[in-house]
Amino acid sequence: MADSTFDNRPGEEEEDEEEEIDDSSYKTIKDAVLFAIDVSATMLERPPKSEDKKADRDSPTSAALKCAYQLMQQRIISNPKDMMGILLFGTEKTDLGDGDTTFQNCYLLSDLDVPSAQDVKRLRDLFENEDEAAQLLKPADEPATIATVLFCANQIFTTKAPNFSSRRLFLVTDNDYPVKVKQDKDTAVTRARDLYDLGCTIDLFPISRSDHTFDRSKFYDDLVYPSSPSDPDTPIAYASTTKNVKSGDGITLLKQLLSSINSKAAPRRALFSLPFELGPDLRIGVKGFILIKRQEHVKSCYVWVGGEKIQIATGATTHMADDTARVVEKFELRKAYKFGGDTITFSTEEFQQIRQCFGDPIIRIVGFKPLSMLPIWANVNKATFIYPSESDFIGSTRVFSALQQKLLKSKKMAIVWFIPRRNAAPSIAALIPGEERYDENGDQTMPPGLWLVPLPFADDIRQCPDQGENLKASEGLVDIMRKVVEQLQLPKGVYDPSKYPNPDLQWFYRILQAMALEEEVPDKPDDKTVPKYKQIDKRTGHILEEFSGAFDEEWRQQSKTKSKPISTGRKRTAPAASAAADDDDEDDVKPKKRAKKVKAEPASQANGDDGMTDQEMADLNDQGKISSLKVDEIKKWLKARGEAVTGKKPELIFKIQAYLDDKGFK
Amino acid sequence: MAQKEATVYILDLGRSMGEKDYGRSKTNLDWAMDYVWDKITTTVSTGRKTALMGVIGFRTDETDLGGLVDEEDGYSNIRCFSPLKQFLLPDIRELQQQIRPSGTNNGDVLSALAIAVQMIKTQTYNAKGMKLKYDRKIIIVTNGTGHMDTDGIDDMAAAFKEDEIELTLLGVDFDDPDYGYKEEDKDLKKTQTENEEILKQFVEDCGDKAMYGTLAAAIDQLDIPRIKKTTPVASYKGSLTLGDNENFDMTLTIDIERYPCTAIAKPPTASSFVVRTDLGAGPGPSTQSSATITGEDHAPTDGNLSAVRNQRVYQVENPADPGTKMNVELEDLERGFEYGRTAVHISESDANIVKIETSASLELIGFVPEEKFDRYLPMSKTNFIVPQKANGQAQLALSSFIHALYEAGCFAIARLVTKDLKPPILVLLVPRIEPDLEALIDVELPFEEDMRRYKFPPLDKKLTISGKEIKQHRDIPNEELMQAMSDYVDAMDISEFGRDEGGEKTEYMPFSEVYSPLLHRINHIIRWRATHPFDTELPPPPQILTKYSAPPGELLSQAETQFQALKKAGDVKKVPPKEKGRFKRSRGADREKPLSGLDVDALLGNPKRIKIDAGNLVPTFKQALAATDDLEAIQSAADEMASNIKSLISSSIGESGYGRALEAIRVMREELTELEEPEIFNKFIRELKADVIGGKLKGDRREMWWRIRGSKYGLIDRKRCFASDVTEDEAAEFYKAT
Repeated sequence: MADSTFDNRPGEEEEDEEEEIDDSSYKTIKDAVLFAIDVSATMLERPPKSEDKKADRDSPTSAALKCAYQLMQQRIISNPKDMMGILLFGTEKTDLGDGDTTFQNCYLLSDLDVPSAQDVKRLRDLFENEDEAAQLLKPADEPATIATVLFCANQIFTTKAPNFSSRRLFLVTDNDYPVKVKQDKDTAVTRARDLYDLGCTIDLFPISRSDHTFDRSKFYDDLVYPSSPSDPDTPIAYASTTKNVKSGDGITLLKQLLSSINSKAAPRRALFSLPFELGPDLRIGVKGFILIKRQEHVKSCYVWVGGEKIQIATGATTHMADDTARVVEKFELRKAYKFGGDTITFSTEEFQQIRQCFGDPIIRIVGFKPLSMLPIWANVNKATFIYPSESDFIGSTRVFSALQQKLLKSKKMAIVWFIPRRNAAPSIAALIPGEERYDENGDQTMPPGLWLVPLPFADDIRQCPDQGENLKASEGLVDIMRKVVEQLQLPKGVYDPSKYPNPDLQWFYRILQAMALEEEVPDKPDDKTVPKYKQIDKRTGHILEEFSGAFDEEWRQQSKTKSKPISTGRKRTAPAASAAADDDDEDDVKPKKRAKKVKAEPASQANGDDGMTDQEMADLNDQGKISSLKVDEIKKWLKARGEAVTGKKPELIFKIQAYLDDKGFK
Repeated sequence: MAQKEATVYILDLGRSMGEKDYGRSKTNLDWAMDYVWDKITTTVSTGRKTALMGVIGFRTDETDLGGLVDEEDGYSNIRCFSPLKQFLLPDIRELQQQIRPSGTNNGDVLSALAIAVQMIKTQTYNAKGMKLKYDRKIIIVTNGTGHMDTDGIDDMAAAFKEDEIELTLLGVDFDDPDYGYKEEDKDLKKTQTENEEILKQFVEDCGDKAMYGTLAAAIDQLDIPRIKKTTPVASYKGSLTLGDNENFDMTLTIDIERYPCTAIAKPPTASSFVVRTDLGAGPGPSTQSSATITGEDHAPTDGNLSAVRNQRVYQVENPADPGTKMNVELEDLERGFEYGRTAVHISESDANIVKIETSASLELIGFVPEEKFDRYLPMSKTNFIVPQKANGQAQLALSSFIHALYEAGCFAIARLVTKDLKPPILVLLVPRIEPDLEALIDVELPFEEDMRRYKFPPLDKKLTISGKEIKQHRDIPNEELMQAMSDYVDAMDISEFGRDEGGEKTEYMPFSEVYSPLLHRINHIIRWRATHPFDTELPPPPQILTKYSAPPGELLSQAETQFQALKKAGDVKKVPPKEKGRFKRSRGADREKPLSGLDVDALLGNPKRIKIDAGNLVPTFKQALAATDDLEAIQSAADEMASNIKSLISSSIGESGYGRALEAIRVMREELTELEEPEIFNKFIRELKADVIGGKLKGDRREMWWRIRGSKYGLIDRKRCFASDVTEDEAAEFYKAT
């Protein structure tokens, strides 16, 4: 396993014909993060005890460790091939693994590697077991020099992640001048430059103490470089790096640190870099970034259970000619289209010509339209974020900015012709403006820029199946329903993705982690997407009652005027399940098993010999399940009540409903 | 399922079809065949077994009625080329050989039509004489100059109606007032004018479905791509609920169904084949696709390709011999997952343990005002949500919900589980009300994990390192630029630039008029190649596919003033290409500086020579190169680097040192390319290859060579660096030879 993660920097190969923007190549940028956490007396100082439940309890060091723990778990989900390591410095103990003591007062808590379940456990144990923590987190009398730490990181990156295109050192410290004499600073500066030349980035997470504000300009501005090798042309956003985390403020140190580390969780890398043509001969440079993408869990793989230790089996594919079973090398493969029972083929040059006849990769404005001409139904895929780049055209940023501001102001969009890269299919997209947003702490939550929303072609639009007749609700009915809509607005009236973790993904990894550590498997998922039933009932129950009455009335009228009978629909459920947890404070109820039971009801009753009673049928009607009955059963039931049994199923159902109405069931 | 089809083409092959009229470069027949071939190949490309085609020619030299009528009298000069059958590529090829103008102008189109009707009847009635369900079509292409015997023409028209045969008659240079087509020297072709009248009347008598037109119009229509219709398949049938109907009294439940609203139509994909070896190396007979291609890239010919099968082998690390791999059998493997680098085995019986327990449902979570919803969040194609079929109550209830959302200006957020045990997704529900359509539209929304929280600097202000805000900066547009941009955007508005049939202003490039360029390009070119196996020059894509690749010219000229103002205010300049080469680069200035701008080289006293340190290999190598422009110094740094790389390989236990060696090779290759000294690297990599393959680096190091090859860290060729004397072919060859 470990080996295969090593060769991950293939040369710039000419791509084969690829259908879409290749998201996978975007992901293959491998990232190695080494946390370097300062262990010193001040870093270990806990905040004063407080009655406030929400107050800080963590020392900066332990907050940093918790961040690392959380990031590790998160990266197993989001970047399962990426590496992570944790280095403590300034500790009394010295150990770089296997008793290596080259770097004094540096302790490698977790080696730089793809995290294992054991790494996760070890880290968790550290803040669950205070004795162990106290032993390890003991500051040395003479702390490690920063130059040593940087060179240590250099060695770890060189040996453990030699070919990773993104290698980052996350430095967490509260010491803004960690040297005594200028000479030591010079050594540190040189070591930092070595790291830069190696292709590693230093990301500083400074911590201010209540009595001391961290000043980056004293020391670290000489060590930290403004651009990163994986994202060389786009300027870094300074906001996240300059933000000092102050302990003792309202918001906990842990939360602040988490937030700034999260914004750096994955290395930023452009999906494409393209000319953006605003008109003939007016081009600027832009880069595209994927900011929204469905995170899937890992696919299942084969494991080898033949040995003592379970191992992942890696597969390799060989091609064989179907006729002779001869092994075929990749360069022998030919592409051909199937046509009329045979194949139609083209030479390599012709294949290129076919795909490239639409011109070079570009984003070109065709014209502008109001945003209202971009209906949601026309969505076909996720949007890509676009941000200017000065690397090819000087002045790109200001022109882009002017366009973004104008589009925001006038609520307009640009319609563009878009070819993301050579050989890719051309598409038409809308460029819509994205406004910069901040949270209450002034941290950016949405970056400013343009979003490229792909548009459907005529070929991509499907027809809505015909629904037969066309009943329309009256204004009165709509007005009642409108109250429901108004009563049940989400907080602040926005859909905020951060409020909804993917329940399937979370559950999957929780189970997997428990199984990997051979711990007990949790039995109940925490699913934030389940509606808040109690709240819904409280806010809308009375409106729905009103609606129910009005609906029945309207239904009676509309179905009377219709000559054609209509099968039932359910609009409210039977009050049978009145075991409502009205006084229950919890929002989560367990509807699943019960739901199944209800589903089983019609079937079991239908199988009964005596047929259903009027009451049972009425219940079924209320649940809208009459149509699930078989025609035979319906006829039997009607016959038993002396009703005529001619006509098709909808008419028969109508007869049942008429019968029930007459009998006073409602 | 598409309906069965029986289509017969009747082609006029008379001598006069071999003429070139009205200055066209093609013969009338070739021109007509552009249309016919397009029709035929379109049907072939569907691969449908139930789409049958037959071809009949008239005014042919021979007479061959394919056994459809017993008597040949009155049917002379008619030839049946193909009975009704599914057409395959060889049928096209065969037909192509046969279709050419004859030496005669004798032969009656109406007789040919009678044969065609007979052909269809034979196929589409069963033995008992019952009419089968078929789409029956006859397509005639003629220049209408032949003699016609109009006896019984009325009976024939009646037969068309009765048999429900759809007749399409296309005339070469027929008058067509709808198309504005009027031949001026028609006097010369008196017969044609008379025939046109007769045929036109005949077509009119054949029923509503019959069509009469001029070929030019039909050929123009060919470029308009045909859209494939797809039968809607419901992805969810169940209920839309508000509230928990198990535990609460008042809840809302509506029976609904979900169908696709948008779905990306993909172009056909090419499959992998390999040239058959058992046929020998010679090129195929008649179907050579491109005569100009020779040698390696020789295009395989149809029928000479063999399908490719894939075989997978599985490997694990050998526990007995760490650092080596061993193959394992599929039966020793079980299902599992990776948690980080830990393998987790999940037995067959536990397979469901990682799945979240769900049951099929669509549940409302809450509502958001339309204007507060970010349009860039939706991440999928969309679906219609419509009431259950023939369910009046559901219709009424959903209608009230759709209108309530619409009137409140809100969207709904809902949780969707399409099938039991499927993962839940969050969807946005949007009302869509159109004159003949009332539905909800759903589209998937991102979860927390789907958002990447990258930060980008603001665009309307500049923040300094110290956090100060600057409003005036070269990256921030000034007022002039803002105004110019605003004017330009407004001038280039296309929301009313289009014209409808009545000439009224309408939206330019609505969705329904923009066709997928690549999809139709590939379909077009496959069909073209099917009938043009010998042509070497590919035709350009039809104009309709590139129409929307640039702003309309008329609009651009209207907005010229605003555009010039924007260009001036924007003042965008192309960045000159980077200076490369050891003399040209400006040392020091190019070196990236830390945030403070500190000159690290100066701090170290600008040393002229830097020693390569094995323990700090990559940085010291880069620094050594940066410090000098002396060729000798560069060579010596490269030599030291080379010996370090070799020792990394030779001291590697198993593959442990290969990664570092590979990274060092990459850096060396990149730096020397930058310095335009490719020869230094090329000499090294040639030696290295010889050493690695020759086993001179302590043991079998071939795996290292595979890695160099896989990473493409071979010779620097001319394409990569102009100073190189290695050709691209040579560089490619370098990877192959062992």
